Amino acid sequence: MGQKRLLLAAAASACMAGAAGAAEPIKVGLIEPLSGSVAYNGQSVVEGAKLAAKEINDRGGIDGRPLELIVEDGQCAPANTVNAAEKLIQNDRVSVLIGAFCSSATAAIMPVADKYKLPLVTGVSSKADLTEQGNRYFFRAAETDALLARAFAKIMARDLKLKSVAYIGVNDDWGRGGVAEFSRDLTELGVKSTLVDYFDHGSTDFYTLLTRIRAAEPDGVFVAAETQDGSILLKQAKEMGLEAKIFGVGSWATEDFIKLTGEAAEGIYAAVPYASTIPGDTNRKFVESYAKAYRKQPGKYGAAGYNAVNIVAQAIDRADSTKAEAIREALAKTDYEAPNGHYRFTPKGQAYGFSAVLVQLQGAKPVVVATSPVEAGQ
Amino acid sequence: MNLALQFLANGLVTGAFYALSALGLTLIFGLMRVVNFAHGEFFMLGGVLGWVATAVLGLDFATAFVLVVAAMGVLGWLVDRFMIERVRGHGEESTILLTIGLSIFLANATLYLAGPAPMKVPAPLTGKPLFLGPVVLTKSRLAAVAVSVVLVLGAYLVIHRTRIGRAMRATFQDAMAAKLSGIRTERIFAATFALGTMLAASAGMLLASIYSAQASVGGLVSLKAFVVVILGGMGSFPGAIAGGLILGLSEAFWGGYVSTGTVDIVGFVMVILILLFRPRGLFSLNAQRA
Repeated sequence: MGQKRLLLAAAASACMAGAAGAAEPIKVGLIEPLSGSVAYNGQSVVEGAKLAAKEINDRGGIDGRPLELIVEDGQCAPANTVNAAEKLIQNDRVSVLIGAFCSSATAAIMPVADKYKLPLVTGVSSKADLTEQGNRYFFRAAETDALLARAFAKIMARDLKLKSVAYIGVNDDWGRGGVAEFSRDLTELGVKSTLVDYFDHGSTDFYTLLTRIRAAEPDGVFVAAETQDGSILLKQAKEMGLEAKIFGVGSWATEDFIKLTGEAAEGIYAAVPYASTIPGDTNRKFVESYAKAYRKQPGKYGAAGYNAVNIVAQAIDRADSTKAEAIREALAKTDYEAPNGHYRFTPKGQAYGFSAVLVQLQGAKPVVVATSPVEAGQ
Repeated sequence: MNLALQFLANGLVTGAFYALSALGLTLIFGLMRVVNFAHGEFFMLGGVLGWVATAVLGLDFATAFVLVVAAMGVLGWLVDRFMIERVRGHGEESTILLTIGLSIFLANATLYLAGPAPMKVPAPLTGKPLFLGPVVLTKSRLAAVAVSVVLVLGAYLVIHRTRIGRAMRATFQDAMAAKLSGIRTERIFAATFALGTMLAASAGMLLASIYSAQASVGGLVSLKAFVVVILGGMGSFPGAIAGGLILGLSEAFWGGYVSTGTVDIVGFVMVILILLFRPRGLFSLNAQRA
C-alpha cells in the first residue's frame, strides 16, 4: 500500500517534471561586444551563435527542450562584461556562459564563473595564459596565438621564402601576443626581425608606420589587425608602394574584409582558424546555411560563435542535465565535429585537434594554401 | 633625410585633417560657449550619410557632399532650436550633459540603423600614387587637404566678412544688446550651431573617402578635436589650424623616430603642459570675448 502510493507519486512527479521540461527552455548566456570598436566582429559571433541555436531548435532542441540564447553587450570592457555576466547568472539564470571576445574581458568574468560554479566557454579570446589559471569552469574553443604561430611559422618561412620580417600589431593584448609569438617562432627559424611596432585601435593613418617599414626593406610584413584597422592599413600600404609580402592574423579571410580593402587585399596571406573555403562536407553545409541566413559567407568569428554554441549544446545533451557540474564534466569530454575539424579539450580546457589554415586572397576569395592541425601538446 | 621628408608630408596631411576635424568644435565653443560633446558624432554622421548617398543611392561624390552637408546643417539647426535653446542660459553643465546624451543617442541610433560594419565612401579621385622626389602622396589626400583649406577660409570669411557673421559676433559679445538692435538672436544661435555641424559633417565625409566611416568613431574624433582646440585656443580659427598641424607633425615625427605604439602620449602631454602654462591656448584671441 505504502509502496504503491510512493510509486504513484514518483510517476506523477516524473510526468510533471517532463511536462515542465518540455515547456522550459535551456538558457545560455552570450556576452559579446555589440558597441564600441570591435562591435562589428562581436556581431559576427552572435550571428554564428544564433544560427547554431536555430539549427538545434529546428532539430527539436536538446532532449525536447529549446535552446534559448540570451545576448548581452559587454563592449569588450571588463567592468561592463562582469555586469553582463552577473545579470545573466542572477536574473536570467543561464546554465552556461559563452563569451566575452576580448581576452581582458574574458579574464574579468572567469572569477565570476568560478564563484557561481558555472561553465564558461569562449570561442574567441586567444591570450595564452587564460587556460593556465587553473579555472576548472573555463574552456577555450579557440586557437591561441602561440598555437597558430607554431602551426604556421615553418610553412611561412619556407613557402613565402622570408629572410627578414617587420612585425606590426594593434596595441592590445591580442596584437602584442600575436607579434610576440610569431616573431619568436620565425626568429628561431633564422628569419631576421627588422622592426617591431604597434598602433592603437581605431587608428586611421598608417603612413608614418609604413614609411618606416619601407625604409627597413623587409621581405615580409607580419600584421595583427582586425577588420577596420587592417583594411585601412593594407590600402595605405598599397598606396605607399610597399612591395613586401604581407601576412598576418585577424579576421582577414572574410567577405567584408575583402570588400572593404578592395584590390589592395589581393595576394596577402592570413593564418586563420577558419575560412569559408575550407574543404569538406561539414563546412559546405555550414557555409550554405550561413549564407542563407545572412546573405554573406561566414568568417572566423561567425564560425567561432557557431562552434561555441554547438559545443555547449552537445555537452548539455550528453550531461542530460542543466546542472553546472554535470555540464562541466561533459564539456571536458567534448568531441565535436566542426566545419574546421575536430574539437577536443585538454585537461586545462584548451581546445585542440581542429585545423587552422593559411589562406591567400586571390581574386577576392580566400584560397587555402596550407592546412595544419592545432595541437596543444607538450 | 628622405625619411624626414616623408614624415613631414605625413604630418602636414594628418595635421590638416586634424584641423578640419576640429573646426566645428572650436567655432561652436568660441562663439556660443557650448562645449559640444556630440561633435564627433556629427563627424561620424557626415561619413555614414556620405556612404548612404554614394554607395547606397549611387550619387556622385560632389552632389552627395553638398546634400549631406545641407542635411546636417538642417539637423544642427533643429538640434539648437529644439534642444540647446531649452537649456541656454542655464550654465555650461546642462549643455555639456545635453550634448553627451545626444552623442550617445546618435552613436547608438546609427549602430542600430546602419550596423557596426565599417563603411567605405568611394573616393572621388583614384589612380596611382604621386612621387614627389622621395615623398609619396595620393591625389585624394592632396585634394582633401585642398578642400580643408577652402573650408577653413570659407568659414573664416563667413564669420568675418558677411552680415550674418557680424550678427554672430555681435550676438556672442552681448546677446541682450544685439537683440535690442534688432538681431533675431535665436536664429543666430541656430545658424552658428548649424555651421559648426556642417563643418564637422564635411570633415567626416571627406575623411571617410580616405579612411572609412563607422558608427563608433565619434569618441576618438572628439578626443583628438579637443586636443587640437586646447592647443590652439578655444574659439580661434588660426589656432585650430596651428593646433592641428602641431599635433599632426609631432605625431608623425614621434611615430617615425620613436614608436607609433605610444603616439597618443604626445598629444596629451602637450595638452597638460598647455593647460598648466598657457590655459587659453597658444593662439587664443582674448578680445573675442569681452
